[in-house]
Amino acid sequence: MTDDTLDFGDPADLEQLRREFRAWLAANPLPERLPDEPAAVFLHRWHRQLHAGGWVGLDVPVRYGGRGLTALHQVAVSDELGACRAPGVPRIGYLAHALLEFGSEEQRLRLLPRMLSGDDVWCQGFSEPGAGSDLAGMSTYAERHDGHYTVRGQKLWTSYAQYSDYCLLLARTDRSAPAHSSLSAFVLPLDREGVTVRPLRAANGDDEFCELFLDDVRIEEDERIGAEGDGWPLAMTTVNYERNALDTGHLSKYGLLLERLRQVLQDRRDDLPDGLASAVGRCVADYQVLVAHARRRTAERLAGQGAGPESSVDKLLMTRTEQRLYETALKVLPEELFREGGEVFGEYLYSRAASVYGGTSQIQRNIIAKRLLRLPSAG
Amino acid sequence: METEEFRLVREALRAFAERYRCASAEVKPADRAAAQQALDALGLAELRASTPPSATAQECALLAEEHGRYPLATSFLGTGLLAPELLRLLEAEDGPVTCDGVPTVALARDLRLPGRGTTDGADLVGWDCQGADGALWVADDGTVRWSGLGTPTPTTDPLRTVRALRSDAPPAVLGRLDAERRQYWQAWALVMVTSELVGGARSFLAQSTDYARERTQYGRPIGSFQAVQHLLADATVAVEACTSAVRYAAWCLDHAPPEAALAAARVAKAEANESAVEAVYTGMQVFGGIAQTWEHTAHLYLRRVLLGATVLARSADLLPVLAAPAQA
Repeated sequence: MTDDTLDFGDPADLEQLRREFRAWLAANPLPERLPDEPAAVFLHRWHRQLHAGGWVGLDVPVRYGGRGLTALHQVAVSDELGACRAPGVPRIGYLAHALLEFGSEEQRLRLLPRMLSGDDVWCQGFSEPGAGSDLAGMSTYAERHDGHYTVRGQKLWTSYAQYSDYCLLLARTDRSAPAHSSLSAFVLPLDREGVTVRPLRAANGDDEFCELFLDDVRIEEDERIGAEGDGWPLAMTTVNYERNALDTGHLSKYGLLLERLRQVLQDRRDDLPDGLASAVGRCVADYQVLVAHARRRTAERLAGQGAGPESSVDKLLMTRTEQRLYETALKVLPEELFREGGEVFGEYLYSRAASVYGGTSQIQRNIIAKRLLRLPSAG
Repeated sequence: METEEFRLVREALRAFAERYRCASAEVKPADRAAAQQALDALGLAELRASTPPSATAQECALLAEEHGRYPLATSFLGTGLLAPELLRLLEAEDGPVTCDGVPTVALARDLRLPGRGTTDGADLVGWDCQGADGALWVADDGTVRWSGLGTPTPTTDPLRTVRALRSDAPPAVLGRLDAERRQYWQAWALVMVTSELVGGARSFLAQSTDYARERTQYGRPIGSFQAVQHLLADATVAVEACTSAVRYAAWCLDHAPPEAALAAARVAKAEANESAVEAVYTGMQVFGGIAQTWEHTAHLYLRRVLLGATVLARSADLLPVLAAPAQA
């Protein structure tokens, strides 16, 4: 965070990029979802279509299959997609950053282009039944042999694992060292012997989340990312990017819902419960604050600051915005409570998870207290 | 301004604030005058006087944050940032304007922006009057008027002087702003006032965080207790939210059309009205008993943000405006 002046503006080429993207989008609209087509399969088709147009991995260097532009360009694309109600760009930015920062050159050249193109679909194997908030306390163990490891354990919340080819896996490689220095990261092909994937049904009916069982799975030494013990810093880099409001591309989705709520208020202005207009105004302020905050973070990143513990502030702000917005939406649109399968109610349910996934709000507060405010640890 | 030059200006203001910060609510008139003189000597009111101005709105807003960091009885917003900018906008429209003495700005009696029917100044007060001789305001039709200052009127913020306008002479008409410049002026005023609030909230939160590291109970620093940590973390989020909002709004003054800058400024004020107060509440809770005393500066911060949340525009004014459809 800096106290100097910042350039909140768009780089000059950004408007040009937005225009190009809109033109491409007009010529290559969102495909029809087939009857009974699972969401993940449909989204994967969309991913490939976006990639064919050159709209995935804009901030990844060209030699790894990206376009060598900035995070701001990637955000602009997310923004345009949200504005036309299309699903966002595939959420692989944070996985790509983990490989960019910790992978070997050989791994980056081999894995990143196929990750960006959608030839390989990736998921993340971090959490476990016994290691949620206490991620470092995971028990999945990779036992080292000559040139390879044998992995045993169980992972949870691995989004879309049933549709994935690879998992970015964290496992313990040293049982005696302290938790934070004993984790290592691996690229695990999910078709490997001993891997079992079981989908879970979420409260909103989606089958996004999965369990992953690993029974003596062999992983080669050259499938490790970084050195032994790099797992924790890699995980922290990943979640910092994951938490950042910028990298999630939700912003314009909030904007569209707000516009709808404002319109409903306008239409019912003679028959409004007390305080509802102010509640919507508060949500508009939250949203605009988040937009300003995201711009500040982007400007800081362009000025050379990487994603760090400030991302916990971003995550809490995003959670505040999202939860208050959907709570208010159900007050403005109470009819949504009296039908099943409505989009707003589905998104409302998902908003309840905002304070849990990617590190709970309580964990974010701990991180802010320790790493930003430098408060002492409990003895 | 070049980065280095701006840092020097801010350093000078910081040194001034360290030297003249008020330790209590009782500040002798002579000390107030001396502090104002020292602030005026920094020449900050000239930052926007040249064409084009030597300081950007963003830089001025950061200076307003700086002035807000400590309790000060000096007028920087009124006489250093708001009135000079209003005169600058007026001169950009009408050519040179003469104004007797040092002006600050006039607000409605409840410290909101002057509303309808404010031509004679009867319902207005001069705000942030230390070192000022008169006050300027903009009526709905864009007319800018000047009145001399009368007797002080009480508010709960002892460090910010508010005075009645003189009723023995009619206000002088100085000129008129067009609709765009009026929007710009409102946005400017909202951004600068909000920046000072944000500066105060940031600083008080930082002071209470320092205190949480030092103060021990049960044999350990209170900042090691998770209950205290989470209070401070939530206040940090609140402070970062209003910081982002106001710094972005300040940038908009330099780079966006006035209408967009005004929209961003309203968002920033609405955010700070809530989050700056929340941050000060948290800071006081962390300071505990000591913050409830007259001699601690906590109540000076509280008075400033509480009254500040009503200055120009309250949340109750702003939120319904923000809820109106974007195209309306």
